Amino acid sequence: MAFRCMRLRPLLPARRAFSTSRAARSDALFVHRDTPYNNSKIPFEFDEANTKIAKEVVAHYPPQYKKAAVIPLLDLAQRQNKGWTSISVMNYVAKFLDMPPMRVYEVATFYTMFNREPIGKHFVQVCTTTPCMLCNAYDILSTVKEHLKIGVGETTPDGLFTLVEVECQGACSNAPMLVVGDDFYEDLTPESTKKILDAFKKGQKPKPGPQSGRHTSENSAGLTALTSKPYGPGEHCQPEFK
Amino acid sequence: MLRLGAKRALRSGAASRGFQTSSKRSADVTLTVDGKSVTVPQGTALIQACEAAGVTIPRFCYHDRLAIAGNCRMCLVEVARSPKPVASCAMPAMPGAQVFTNTPMVHEAREGVMEFLLANHPLDCPICDQGGECDLQDQSMRYGSDRTRFHEITGKRAVENKDFGPLVKTVMNRCIQCTRCVRFANEVAGVEELGTTGRGNDLQIGMYVEKVMDSELSGNVVDLCPVGALTSKPYAFHARPWELKDTESIDVMDAVGSNINVQSRGPKVMRVQPRTNEDVNEEWISDKTRYAYDGLQFQRLMTPLVRQGDRFIPASWEGALTAIRAGLTNSGAQGNSIKAIAGALADTESLVALKDWINNLGSDNTALDCAGGSEPPAATVDVRSNYLFNATIPALEQADAILLVGTNPRHEAAVMNSRIRKSYLHTGLEVGFIGERAETTYEYEYLGADLKAVDEFVKSKNGFAAKFKEAKKPMIVVGSALTEHPDGKAALKTLAKYVQANKGKMLTPEWNGFCVLQRHASRAAAYDIGFVPTASAAKATPSFVYLLSADDVDPKSIPESAFVVYQGSHGDLGAQIADVVLPGAAYTEKGMTWVNTEGRAQMGRAAVSIPGAAREDWKIIRALSEVCGEPLPYDDIVQLRDRMWEVSPTLVRYDSAEPTSVDVAQLGLAQMANALTPAKASGKPFEKPIKNFYMTDPISRASVTMAHCTKAFVKGEGYGLSKDETAAQASFA
Amino acid sequence: MTTIPARLAKRAVAHTSLASARADVLALYRDFYRAAPEICDTYALDIPPSLVRTRYRQEFERNKHVTDLKVLDVLILKGRQEYQEVMNTWKMRAQLLGFIMAPIERQGQHPKGFLDSFYTGKDELAVLPMSP
Repeated sequence: MAFRCMRLRPLLPARRAFSTSRAARSDALFVHRDTPYNNSKIPFEFDEANTKIAKEVVAHYPPQYKKAAVIPLLDLAQRQNKGWTSISVMNYVAKFLDMPPMRVYEVATFYTMFNREPIGKHFVQVCTTTPCMLCNAYDILSTVKEHLKIGVGETTPDGLFTLVEVECQGACSNAPMLVVGDDFYEDLTPESTKKILDAFKKGQKPKPGPQSGRHTSENSAGLTALTSKPYGPGEHCQPEFK
Repeated sequence: MLRLGAKRALRSGAASRGFQTSSKRSADVTLTVDGKSVTVPQGTALIQACEAAGVTIPRFCYHDRLAIAGNCRMCLVEVARSPKPVASCAMPAMPGAQVFTNTPMVHEAREGVMEFLLANHPLDCPICDQGGECDLQDQSMRYGSDRTRFHEITGKRAVENKDFGPLVKTVMNRCIQCTRCVRFANEVAGVEELGTTGRGNDLQIGMYVEKVMDSELSGNVVDLCPVGALTSKPYAFHARPWELKDTESIDVMDAVGSNINVQSRGPKVMRVQPRTNEDVNEEWISDKTRYAYDGLQFQRLMTPLVRQGDRFIPASWEGALTAIRAGLTNSGAQGNSIKAIAGALADTESLVALKDWINNLGSDNTALDCAGGSEPPAATVDVRSNYLFNATIPALEQADAILLVGTNPRHEAAVMNSRIRKSYLHTGLEVGFIGERAETTYEYEYLGADLKAVDEFVKSKNGFAAKFKEAKKPMIVVGSALTEHPDGKAALKTLAKYVQANKGKMLTPEWNGFCVLQRHASRAAAYDIGFVPTASAAKATPSFVYLLSADDVDPKSIPESAFVVYQGSHGDLGAQIADVVLPGAAYTEKGMTWVNTEGRAQMGRAAVSIPGAAREDWKIIRALSEVCGEPLPYDDIVQLRDRMWEVSPTLVRYDSAEPTSVDVAQLGLAQMANALTPAKASGKPFEKPIKNFYMTDPISRASVTMAHCTKAFVKGEGYGLSKDETAAQASFA
Repeated sequence: MTTIPARLAKRAVAHTSLASARADVLALYRDFYRAAPEICDTYALDIPPSLVRTRYRQEFERNKHVTDLKVLDVLILKGRQEYQEVMNTWKMRAQLLGFIMAPIERQGQHPKGFLDSFYTGKDELAVLPMSP
């Protein structure tokens, strides 16, 4: 994101060199610049299946409030458009919902899960918010960086992976974790992280969820309470009820 | 962020417009502000209740003409039994509430807010155009700290400047994200392209894609911006507010008669700002009103000119007036062959003087410079309601169905158009449109482009016609271009009959739904004093023509042999065809009467002195009348205004729009309804009279800023920062 | 030239008799009379000193009927102040020239009738721009 804006901006002219403040490290550039791969002339339309879904989504709202469907529709369009929301996608959604394009731009720039620049096939999002950080999320992050040989916010040359740091994904009990596409990979260690990435590289899909052998978010040190067999019906009752 | 209604939303009734319609509540609530008891209508914001109690609340985002955003947090006040300070703009006044605006808690809260606002605000007041009239500057005097706790190594937030076109200069580093401009653009101006992108600290105002802010009202965001983020581009680095002299005056760029404040320094008009008048322009003015003032410096006529061969020779006043006398005698003009043509920028005083003089010379040939202006007008001018906007401008908000005929209010009266948009957003207003399709800032039902559409509307029983019939307060807005159209008479006849047939709704003592929208500042006054030719006079071939600021006149309509005098402020088209040119004063240089399209007489005032040897227009005519032998019977402006009172008392009853009584209005309608019309309609479509909003009169045609606007908005050529970075750097450095 | 504020300054005097006042007036007149060439010189006025003398004499004669001692006190003081201002070059050239030329300029400058005032551009009833 910040990296992307650096990459896409034209080289800054030398006369600006006297400026000492760094460019703001915002999530992304909040204006649109036409590029060969992202401009309003590139056509975008929902395919047949998605049109059906979109109509279904719009039908959930009263007709005069159909613009309420902007977020689900943007998400749908992003999925169809290889995981990113181009200007044509936004314009199309605006047209689809009869709202001024700017209102769609506002939504798309507000939410960080709308990628306004192209991403790799596998979108690797490493959580580094406090609980994950305490569980060595930065080790996971550096492992990913070293293994894929890219920095945060970059895409591998083969276009397979894009790496970003994200805020809390709500899987704190299974920290540290990363997200690839829609799937959570939890309870990571550097080794399991590499394994996951390698699997993706080979075109396989590793099993999502905890990688430590846990099923879900049960205590990793084994049960500390309720260890005995739960009593069944008829136990501990008054004699007359036995 | 705002989520306003979509312009192109499904036609599913009022709700699609996104604004909630709140019914009027009349109940009052009483509360105490700083121990003082005030009573305000229910639903009033707390900030207004405080204002009513005489307490000024600091604010950035709140503006009483815009939707409430509540995002600047500067208006915090303390309310009894509330644990936290309350944003008074977003809080309705509650009965019995005890509000404190001057407690330590309030001060601390506001100081905290101010500290956050200043954290990312550049300290460039010395080079900022807002300096001296900056809300942030003023309020930081009270609530700002002289120390900073901001020690961010990365420095302050930096935001790229946007390119809003040739009128609005942006310095986005200074923006405090109050979103007033966004709300104005969306609600009032109808520019739904402006919004906010990003979030939190990185929130930006802009259009996301590169675009100019294409609106006739864009200049108002400069006034609205509480900081120096949006400033006026033509005015940039020209003056400081404390150097300027304010003159309350009236705008003449259109027939709305917007109340303006002409700000001048020495002999030069530096800028024009709106003045609040609820009945006319609220507090908005169009961009032409605001920015055409630089045309007052160019192409000015400074000294009398007399044509010799193919060139103009400067002359003294005596020489010029004597030349006119000779021209008048030598042309042999008698009676109706003496013709006067008045233009768009002629003030009422000079119109009265000119008509008196021409009549004294035995001629009734007083014409206007519009198409068909040399003929008796399509709507007879005996009755005022035939050519005025009878319902008055504020009534645009009460109308529940408006039929626009041959007019595009967006260009002919941009400020009035914003009222229609307001009504469109907040009520269930239905708009019908007959004429050349135009991009208005509201939806309309298109009914056709020509006379046939008018006839169909009258006969039709469904669609818009049905809605119009059902409306409680229907309004027909007839454009001034319609009266200039060959089919105008027939169209007016049809509409007049329609109004007569529906007079129960269209013509009551409370509501006169037949409105004519003039587009020239002097037109209503010209009709008021009867500056139109009689039928017999119109037939005469003129041999002496007096052009009073008449620049839209067709040169071919004036015979080659005629002796032509031009009087006006600018060397525009009219001056080119003249034999003698007399330099007059522009609207900022004379204190004159202007009658707007409602028939509201308003007094303009002189802001700067008249350049060169130019004189006030009525005096030129008065002097000329004396040179030609029959002096007009007034020597000063007071006597002239007495004469105006004789002509029509409404001309000097300032600031009021006098309604025409129902009976008289009916006579006027009957005149239109019984008018003789050509047996066969021409069938030509009604055309937009204004193709280029930014250049409609000699002043705006001479204006460099308006030329830039034409380039950027009308021709759509690139302009400004994005295309030419070097220039942007230079202008910003 | 350095400006010494006290140069040519005179203390205000409360005269007790007409005779003493007369003596002071004459002294003031003499000062102006003698200073005329210097005034023309300092201010680079393109007019003869006699005109300056005449003009100041006019000012004296304008008040010749005054007999009230209190009024005389003030007039003498004002005269002295004027003298001080003129001699110390505290006035602008245009100021002084305006004062000297005013009655001459004014002669024949009353436009007669509307047309005359229109031609001369001196229309008292012109709507002047509002003062700041």
